Amino acid sequence: MTQSVLTRPPVPADPPPTPAARGRRRRGQGVAYLFLSPWIIGAALLTIGPMVASLYLSFTDYDLFEAPTWIGVDNYVTMFTGDERFWHAAWTTTEYVLVSVPLKLGLALAVAMLLNRARKGVGLYRSAFYAPSLLGASVSVALAWRAMFSTDGTVDRVLSSVGLDLGGWVDQPQYALLTLVALAVWQFGAPMVIFLAGLKQVPRELYEAAAIDGAGPGRRFLSVTLPMLSPVILFNLVLETIHAFQAFTGAFVVSSGRGGPSDSTLLYPLYLYQRGFTDFRMGYASAMAWVLLVVVAVLTALVFRSARRWVFYAGENR
Amino acid sequence: MGRVSRRGAAGLLVGLLSLTAALSGCGNESADGPVTLRFVWWGNEDRAKVTRAAVDAFQQRNPDIKVETEYSGYDAYFQKLSTQVAGGAGPDLLQLDRATVGEYAGRKVLADLGEYTGKDLGLDKIPANLLEGGKVDGKQYAVAAGATTQMLIFDPTHFEAAGVRVPTAPGEKWTWAQFAEAMTQVGAAGQVSGTTDFGWAVDWFEVWLHQRGKALYTPDGKLGFTAEELAGYWEMIGAMRSDKGVSPAEVTTKMDGSVQNSGIVTRQAASEIGYDSAVTGYFGAFGPNLELAPLPSDVAESGMAAMPPVSFAVSQRSKHKAAAVKLLDFLVNDPEAGKLLGASRGVPPNEEIRAQVCSSAEGGSKAVCDYEAAQQDKIGPAFGAWPTGSSAIKRDFQRTYDDVIFNRVSVADAAERVVQDAEQSLGS
Repeated sequence: MTQSVLTRPPVPADPPPTPAARGRRRRGQGVAYLFLSPWIIGAALLTIGPMVASLYLSFTDYDLFEAPTWIGVDNYVTMFTGDERFWHAAWTTTEYVLVSVPLKLGLALAVAMLLNRARKGVGLYRSAFYAPSLLGASVSVALAWRAMFSTDGTVDRVLSSVGLDLGGWVDQPQYALLTLVALAVWQFGAPMVIFLAGLKQVPRELYEAAAIDGAGPGRRFLSVTLPMLSPVILFNLVLETIHAFQAFTGAFVVSSGRGGPSDSTLLYPLYLYQRGFTDFRMGYASAMAWVLLVVVAVLTALVFRSARRWVFYAGENR
Repeated sequence: MGRVSRRGAAGLLVGLLSLTAALSGCGNESADGPVTLRFVWWGNEDRAKVTRAAVDAFQQRNPDIKVETEYSGYDAYFQKLSTQVAGGAGPDLLQLDRATVGEYAGRKVLADLGEYTGKDLGLDKIPANLLEGGKVDGKQYAVAAGATTQMLIFDPTHFEAAGVRVPTAPGEKWTWAQFAEAMTQVGAAGQVSGTTDFGWAVDWFEVWLHQRGKALYTPDGKLGFTAEELAGYWEMIGAMRSDKGVSPAEVTTKMDGSVQNSGIVTRQAASEIGYDSAVTGYFGAFGPNLELAPLPSDVAESGMAAMPPVSFAVSQRSKHKAAAVKLLDFLVNDPEAGKLLGASRGVPPNEEIRAQVCSSAEGGSKAVCDYEAAQQDKIGPAFGAWPTGSSAIKRDFQRTYDDVIFNRVSVADAAERVVQDAEQSLGS
């Protein structure tokens, strides 16, 4: 790859292109598009096409089996004015995002700092902590999670043996969402690895200078680590927030697709799924998907806007 | 992007699209050559075993028809089915229940079996009231795969230990008060609850309504009960919950109608209300030491009925409808199939086959035959088919009951909500 780039003859840039040269350039572009075509075709057929279709479907009454009928903005009106479960699901998801994202990022940063300090076996520990992220999205882990947190499961037994008889978490509305949060936080590996890479970039002399000036560990963390790491924090925050809004597998498996007990694990994507595939209201589900897209886009934009105040890029003049 | 390449990309796209279209149009129907059918159902291991055996027998007799089978649990089954049907990859022969026959027929997914009846499909040995459950707007869209009746299945050891007698002899009955008393005694005596909380399933409420001369749905598809009636029913069950007569909320919330998650199989309840079509499943998952008793009733009528537990239907989009109908006919009318299937979907719907099967039944199938015989006089004609929207009602019913058992809403408000949701579901 690198080789071919290096050996390619330089493109004559300066003299105004003759018609023949322009043709050659076009042909060159054609080749580029040919090589891009797997991605272009994939994106068009599997992403953009379905998105346009779902935008259309969101204005229809569509039951999956018969042709959709146009109903204008009815789906959106019903959603905002006549569907209690929609608001319930939106609120449950907000709770989930607000709790799971900070916890996950906090844990990821803490572990990354420990690993950054370690001298031996970093590779091993890094892989070990990263492993859950590789497994985490799978159905089998969610099944194991359900077994662990059910009545008489591992967690119930351990807690009962120390006198905390809470029963099975997944079977009680007040704890069920916590099991999903725990499942998400446990998969802190991906942001942890990114934090670790970020920490390696922080110049040592900054810490040394701070130490000479009498800064303790806490001060060094607040005044050196956090500012230097802030671009990485922004990246992880945006990515994890978007992920959290889309959380589905855990909730689906832990509640057998129902969002129970008592709708306590009814995350927004799960409700969307229920509307589409069990209530046969695919038009409504499409509308919900677009509302989610818009909300996530707006939130992401807000995070980026706020970033001007707290993200520090080295080399920037302030 | 240059003009040429844009056109090129568009051409490429169009080409690909037409290729996909051409490929999907490839499955031509060949009248004579070997055909491959897909047959899907939900159920337990025991049902899968005997159904596959029956399918093998069918293939031996019809070497030109290959049958692929698939089965799963109830929830997963319908999640998959709706997606497959919508994507044009639906099965040829499928299993449905009361809540879904109306749903799928109403959405034009099922083939009208009228044109096959009397020719490739014999229905004359199947009682008319069983066939009624497969009719929508007067057309036969599905055929009962069996006949089933409501029952209480119980583990006699818990009841003996508590010194409680359950009426199992023919003609014997009990009232709801006696039932509640018995369950509370068992709950007080042992580690397990008397019975699995049965308030979550709309099916048992239907029996309770029938005992009062009411029904879930009126013949013209409207809601047949009031919020007050539902509140009264749920309050009766609630009174048993505090004394461990019925299972606690954490157990009840996990109920999904499957045998492996049921309170009795997970050893959390001493008994459970269900359909006797599940008895072979209970025997398989729990062991053969279970007995059957009728549901309680305060009036002369038991409220119980002979009903199709599940039905078989042929997909409207199937390319091999005739072959699928042939398999359907084999499953319900063939003596060999009847013998293999036993009571895995309730007793056989064909009355001749039923007599043959029951005369030589063993284990779970025998328990079902004996129970049906003992309750014969008390089992009424089938309840009518459920209208479109009833599967949503069934789900909302359970969801709202979750809120009741976790004390998140008063019984009266919950019942009100069920009625409102139901009217909306029936309207849409």
